[in-house]
Amino acid sequence: MIVVQRLVKHYGSFTAVDGVNLDVRPGQIHGFLGPNGAGKTTTICMIAGLLKPTAGRILVNDHDLAANPEAAKASLGFIPDRPFIYEKLTAGEFLRFHAGLYGIDGHSGKQRAQEMLELFELGRWEDELVESFSHGMKQRLVMCAAFLHRPQAVLVDEPMVGLDPRGARLIKNVFHRMAGRGVAILMSTHTLEVAQEMCDCISIILQGRIIACGTVEDLRALAGGRDEQLTQVFLKLTGGSGLQEIDEVV
Amino acid sequence: MVAFPYLLLPSVWASRHRTRRCDRADLLRVALFGGIAVLVCAALFTGSFWLTSQLADYEELGDYLLRLGLSWLFLTFLSFLAFSGVVTALSTFFLSEDLRLLIAAPVAVRRLFHARFVRTIGQASWMVVIFLTPVLTGIGVARSAPPTFYLTALSTVPPFVVIPVAVGTAVTLLLVNIFPARRARDILMLMGLLFAAGIVLLLRFVQPERLLRVESLPDITAFFATLQSPITPMLPSFWAGETLFASLRGGHDLVHWGALWTSALALTVLLSAASDRWYFAGFSKAQEARKARLTRLQILDLLVEMLPLSPVRHHLLIKDVKVFLRDVSQWSQLLLLLALVLVYLYNFRVLDLGRIPYMSGVIKNLYAFLNMGLAGLVMATVAGRFVFPAVSAEGAAFWIIRTAPISLRDFLWSKFWVGLVPVLLLTEGLTITANEFLDIDPFLKVVTAAAIVFMSFALVGLATGLGARYPRFGADNSSQIAGSPGGVAFMIVAVFYVLVMILLLGWPSSVFLWHHVHRVAFMRLQVALISLCFVAAAAVSLAAWWFSMSAGIRALQAMDRTPA
Repeated sequence: MIVVQRLVKHYGSFTAVDGVNLDVRPGQIHGFLGPNGAGKTTTICMIAGLLKPTAGRILVNDHDLAANPEAAKASLGFIPDRPFIYEKLTAGEFLRFHAGLYGIDGHSGKQRAQEMLELFELGRWEDELVESFSHGMKQRLVMCAAFLHRPQAVLVDEPMVGLDPRGARLIKNVFHRMAGRGVAILMSTHTLEVAQEMCDCISIILQGRIIACGTVEDLRALAGGRDEQLTQVFLKLTGGSGLQEIDEVV
Repeated sequence: MVAFPYLLLPSVWASRHRTRRCDRADLLRVALFGGIAVLVCAALFTGSFWLTSQLADYEELGDYLLRLGLSWLFLTFLSFLAFSGVVTALSTFFLSEDLRLLIAAPVAVRRLFHARFVRTIGQASWMVVIFLTPVLTGIGVARSAPPTFYLTALSTVPPFVVIPVAVGTAVTLLLVNIFPARRARDILMLMGLLFAAGIVLLLRFVQPERLLRVESLPDITAFFATLQSPITPMLPSFWAGETLFASLRGGHDLVHWGALWTSALALTVLLSAASDRWYFAGFSKAQEARKARLTRLQILDLLVEMLPLSPVRHHLLIKDVKVFLRDVSQWSQLLLLLALVLVYLYNFRVLDLGRIPYMSGVIKNLYAFLNMGLAGLVMATVAGRFVFPAVSAEGAAFWIIRTAPISLRDFLWSKFWVGLVPVLLLTEGLTITANEFLDIDPFLKVVTAAAIVFMSFALVGLATGLGARYPRFGADNSSQIAGSPGGVAFMIVAVFYVLVMILLLGWPSSVFLWHHVHRVAFMRLQVALISLCFVAAAAVSLAAWWFSMSAGIRALQAMDRTPA
């Protein structure tokens, strides 16, 4: 559903993404892990169509993003790490506007917006201005927008930031249900417990390159451990815990 | 697929909410600014009506001057709109926060371009349209123009506005694609400097002061020839002027009207095609930028290190100056201010008061006070726009200051000094230079220079203190903060203070000069009153400074929550 082939991104002389390949299949929740500055957000922004790749190819639902951006984006839902929402619109208006952007007509858009607001427990806030929302509520509103047009693939950058435990549980359930219906989800996260619990497949990116890809079991095997938590596996693959250095500094 | 007007809906809905949910403070602001706007429009209408009526007495020459005036009016707006187009397009096409949402959606670039272009035209030109409306109405009423004049005006202004904004947008599109990454502020700085230089060159070229010289009357035709020279028939301003002039006389100038419309449409189509090809590349490049070499300002760190300040104040100063200089919106405002200052000084430079020798002494000294009053108003405007928002500009990051081990007193005083130095240098420089050009009495030079020092302390203190007393941490930009009820209150108090200062200094100075010129000795009572006025001016200034700062510090200390 989301296919990324030899994706490259240069910022001047700095290579942020260096030949990344990804294949997120329908119904799969694909975790995208890596340390800060490894290239996760740059890759996700390129797939979302916000950054122009230096080289490589991106296919969403078999549509080439460079050649046919509108068709590719129509199949995609995007949940950014720092979402922008029009502060002076109500939640309902924002969702109806969003529905319009994806070609959903007025009545259907309104009905679908109400469904999504109910699903994400924002129903009673439909007519309130977004500026009065807490960070977690805004995060849930952005998720409403991302799933509103029934996308076949979803890109998520740090989904759990700012959510309370109830909200986090809700999001996990929604993601599982969506995946169950064949939606491909590519999720970047730093919360390794979330990745371990939710993802069918995980790619680890370091200095712009994918250094490991597979299930949690595959990654454990690659890191040379059997029953280790994903955190330990991640630290081994991306360059150690740094505990010794911490002791020295402290 | 989404039609482009759909993309304008959030702005429409947001405006509707603002209208519905405005509180008393908003109503007060609307009433105040609306009232000022109505007064300005009435003054413009009266002025253009009066001038056109006067010109009507001179038949052919009057017609010629009116025609020339229209072309100049539109030429001025043409340059303003082109510059405004560059600045606005940078924000609407490349820096606006909602662009990420819209570009991630399946919206065709061409439709997004059209929506943003409409927004750019609206934002860049509303002021020109509001200005033109009373001026053109005044001209039409004075000349008893037929209804077709107003219809022609309605159909002439839109294409006239579209052309320079399209050119400005094209320049922005080009610059953003050429310059590496987010060097927008550097580009803006360049454009602003060019604009300021352009205004000065234009004035230098035209030399309007020649009209004031009686002895140069025989050269009047040469003067008009000079006025005529920059008005080339190739410019849209000429086409707009000609179209309106023809309709004013009951005729039609379809050639120039057609030139306006075809050029506007052609430019829109070309720009649309260019955006298809280069917009996304430019937007992507604007996301990538990490460095802005011109504003890295390492030299600033070195300079601040040399100042005798505590480490905390060093860091507060460096932070404030860097944040200020890296804010694009501040730059554009600052550069427009620079252009106005240049024009202001230029006016004093070319003022030839020597041609009326019997009056020049009185007028020069009168001008000195006019200059001080103007400098005071410039100071109030600059303080209102740049110093008043200083505390609010901390925004959501104010928690860093509140949780750091520094006193809020130190914080606010740092804001004060950061504001004071540029304001004092700017207005003192303006006053001294203008007084030198005027060659006024040395006594007045000293009085006005000293007054500016006191006024700077008072007005910057007032702005800093009131800014802390009425902060708006949630505002999107400095303009919003300056336009808040606290900002309006500051402007009212500041203007009142400037008037009080002129009164307190004007009377004793004029008495002193009269005695000085006529070599008459002072009476004791006069000396006492003159001294009292000077002391009162100093006392009012110091009181305004000290009490405002104290009130500001108390307000910050009493703040019971950190803004979210």
